[in-house]
Amino acid sequence: MQIAGSKELFEQVFDRDLCSVCGACVGICPYFKVHDGKVAKIFDCDLEQGRCHAQCPKTGVDFEKLSNNYFSQSYSESPLGTYQRIVAAKAGGTLTGKQFQNGGTVTALLVAALEKNVIEGAVLTGADGLLPVPKIAKSTQEILACVSTKYSAAHTASLVNEAARDKQQNLGVVGTACQLTGIANMRSNPLQKDGFVDPINLVIGLFCTWSLDARKFRDYIAGRLDPATITGMDVPPPPAEVFVVKTSTGNVEFPLAEIRELIPGGCAVCPDMTAKWSDISVGALEGKSNWNTLIIRSERGEKLVNEAVAAGYLELDDFPAESLEHLRLGAGNKQERAIEKQKQEEACQS
Amino acid sequence: MSIIIEPKSDERHLVMGNEAIARGALEAGVAVVAGYPGTPSSEIVESLASVSKERNLYVEWSTNEKVAMEVAAAGSFANLRSLCVLKQNGVNVASDFFLHLAGSGTRGGMVILPCEDPGALSSVNEGDSRHFSRMLEIPLLEPGDFQEAKDMTKWGFELSETLKCPVLVRSVTRLSHASGTVTFGDLPTTEQQATFKHDGFVLDPETGPVISAPVNYKHGLQQQKVQQAMEMFEASPFNTYSGPDNPELIIITSSACNLYSREAIKQLGLRDRVGILKLGTTWPLPPRLLEKHLRSTNKVLIVEEVIPFLEESVKILGMELAEEIGIKKFFGKRDGSIPSTGELNPDIIIAALCNILEIDYVGIPAEYEEKAVTHLFLGAPAREGTFCAGCPHRASFWNISLALKMDNNEGFVCGDIGCYTMAVRSAGFSTLKTLHAMGSGTGVASGFGKLGQFGMDQPVFSVCGDSTFYHAVMPALVNAVHHKSDITLVVLDNSGTAMTGFQPHPGTETDVRGEEAVQMDIESICKSIGATVFTADPFDFKTTQETLHNLMKMKGGVKVLVLRQICALSPEKKGTRWFDMSVTESKCLGESCGCNRLCTRVFSCPGLVWDPVKKVSKIDDVICIGCGVCSDVCPVGAIDKKELT
Repeated sequence: MQIAGSKELFEQVFDRDLCSVCGACVGICPYFKVHDGKVAKIFDCDLEQGRCHAQCPKTGVDFEKLSNNYFSQSYSESPLGTYQRIVAAKAGGTLTGKQFQNGGTVTALLVAALEKNVIEGAVLTGADGLLPVPKIAKSTQEILACVSTKYSAAHTASLVNEAARDKQQNLGVVGTACQLTGIANMRSNPLQKDGFVDPINLVIGLFCTWSLDARKFRDYIAGRLDPATITGMDVPPPPAEVFVVKTSTGNVEFPLAEIRELIPGGCAVCPDMTAKWSDISVGALEGKSNWNTLIIRSERGEKLVNEAVAAGYLELDDFPAESLEHLRLGAGNKQERAIEKQKQEEACQS
Repeated sequence: MSIIIEPKSDERHLVMGNEAIARGALEAGVAVVAGYPGTPSSEIVESLASVSKERNLYVEWSTNEKVAMEVAAAGSFANLRSLCVLKQNGVNVASDFFLHLAGSGTRGGMVILPCEDPGALSSVNEGDSRHFSRMLEIPLLEPGDFQEAKDMTKWGFELSETLKCPVLVRSVTRLSHASGTVTFGDLPTTEQQATFKHDGFVLDPETGPVISAPVNYKHGLQQQKVQQAMEMFEASPFNTYSGPDNPELIIITSSACNLYSREAIKQLGLRDRVGILKLGTTWPLPPRLLEKHLRSTNKVLIVEEVIPFLEESVKILGMELAEEIGIKKFFGKRDGSIPSTGELNPDIIIAALCNILEIDYVGIPAEYEEKAVTHLFLGAPAREGTFCAGCPHRASFWNISLALKMDNNEGFVCGDIGCYTMAVRSAGFSTLKTLHAMGSGTGVASGFGKLGQFGMDQPVFSVCGDSTFYHAVMPALVNAVHHKSDITLVVLDNSGTAMTGFQPHPGTETDVRGEEAVQMDIESICKSIGATVFTADPFDFKTTQETLHNLMKMKGGVKVLVLRQICALSPEKKGTRWFDMSVTESKCLGESCGCNRLCTRVFSCPGLVWDPVKKVSKIDDVICIGCGVCSDVCPVGAIDKKELT
């Protein structure tokens, strides 16, 4: 990738509606800001090279460089990325009684990392009503306040940028592929700035097939139910074709076809379902609703999982062979669709 | 003592054109003066206000030009001499009343005095009001030098009183704002008594009601007055000719162009070949005078600024007289001899004369011109017009621009005339997207705010200054509220008519004479109209931007945000410093990714300077007024402010 400036970032990403609001260009400078779920360019910046362009996951990522940097090995074309092993996991006895989206694995890993002093805090995605709001959690209590999936696109990477600017260290981060690709780019110090300090010590990836444009989703919901009553959301496995909004007065189902209209353009060109640029990736496990899929990618990830199991934060089980096939197929399909879409985009450009 | 009330003497006084006009009005015994401030006219009302007590004048800055003309007209109807002073294009604002006034006629001498700005030196158009004289059928006088500025103003009152109709006396920037020598005449000593007689016969111009009906009769009467003016103009001393009896070419000119033409002829040594007919009475033209001079030559060059008003009048006469005087060759704007836009100067007239008379003349040697251009474009740093250091408008537009861009829904701002006009350019972060007459921003916004039924959902803002609010925004605001137009009006209240020199307006405590006035309150007015009203200090970025975001969320109806912060140049604030500002060089990110000179490249307060050697920003202590705003602009807190007690 040729690193360029904010002008090119605008032409290559925003003008083509490819932004997925990951926040990789925000929190660096005064020119890009997120407001109300959307990234805005405030004033023109005339630098020829900027971190906004270098860190964006949609300006063309140098996967080989990133893989060497991150895993000290060549890039794996596999849709599941580089990994050590895949297991089933859920929160262990230490966290019994808490409410999670699925098995509570992410929370368990974060609490373990915090307790074991692997991290001093974690960049997570909380919510203000339907609007996702990134925040740094520094206690178990704060981590538990951020549980469950936010379907709206979140600018979580912006908070990591701010942490780097403020020279913070030993932070964990939980994010989806676009956010983590941006963060991985940032951690490679793309402009080779003096005095750069990597703020991140642990990356936990979340499986993601798409997110929702926060403003469009809010407008969609606004006419249909009281947003204040929402307690959670879920997309049940096929062939349900519904989007479930859990409210204090019961579940409300919306046709998935309508919800798909609210997906930002950037999701269609994202090839990465399982968040390859992480130490550990976590997703649902089809057929076992209280369990998660756990992809352990790095040595650091392996070490944390082992410590979490030993301390009773996490429980593991063998990963069913047919589930692995499903996972490969799902991730492979997303990758193929994205590459096809990328080719179309390039054809349109030329 | 003000120079304009010096007693009569043989002495010549060096005065500004506007002071000469004011003196002329005093010599005529003016009693009522009203106007609305604006370039290049403001000094007329101000200098008359400064002697209002000594001369027992009633002087006011009116809410707008139309009201000013109405106020002045009342003086005339009550048999006083009255003067209405308008800025360039102010006649447009007053024109509705003006048409009726021309029809109803006047009693005490009444002069309408617009000062115009050919070349738009400090305006956003170069409107020419001379057409109003033809359109409304009233006499037009144009002084050609400083003495005439005084004498013709004085005579304008006499003419008006003779004809019983208003008289237009038109000045331009180069007459109003330049200075020249003037010999003063007597100041009258008689006391004036105001009485409005209205019970007489309906058609009696002295005692009947002042109305423009019955229209046929009154219009006919008005046209008789024009005929009478034409007769009087035949012998007017303000129309002069200098040159040979049978010139090769005659220049017909008026106003400041008279001076340019004289200089051009002198420069080319053409006194024996070219004559100048300088006209002071430019509508209606005196036909016999024109006939005499057109007969004397075959070539005619009409020299005037902007539109070919005089040229057309002369050509009509030339056509009417063609059988007697023969066919003339006319030069002017229509054939391209004289440009139709911008100010004229002696060089332009020299070029026209050389072209017509086939004279080989080099005014500026090529070598000199090249050198001048080189120095101009390479020697001087590139500069754009900008707001003063510490100007509240910079902060206001910073807030508005940030709020609209973060909102990211293609929101825009409709603007109008004031210092804040500069927000169309980088000074105000190019925030204004429509720019028209005073008050038009809110009227245009009112229209935009109703386009939701056609799918438009962009946020619509308008801005106006505090003086403009009273001048012409209120009717637009009423319209927007009445029709539930979804707009936000931001009133940039800097507590005075700042652009034209801090003239008072209905929101200030005193009037132009320094006397206590009833102070209006913008918030209360807006609330009573039915708008939702907020107030903030534009220097408080956080509150202002939060308020703007909240206003954008409030769908439907009119929202008003009054951003109140006094002008940095106001007499109350000038010279006071709130903070001592400094830059921590080690913190300044300069040009690097992360800042790229936000303060000196984008915010661009003249008090902030880029140090190209150290590659950091610094405070220019001479220019900085210590408002402290830039410390909130810096993304890394490198600009410190220390409160001064």
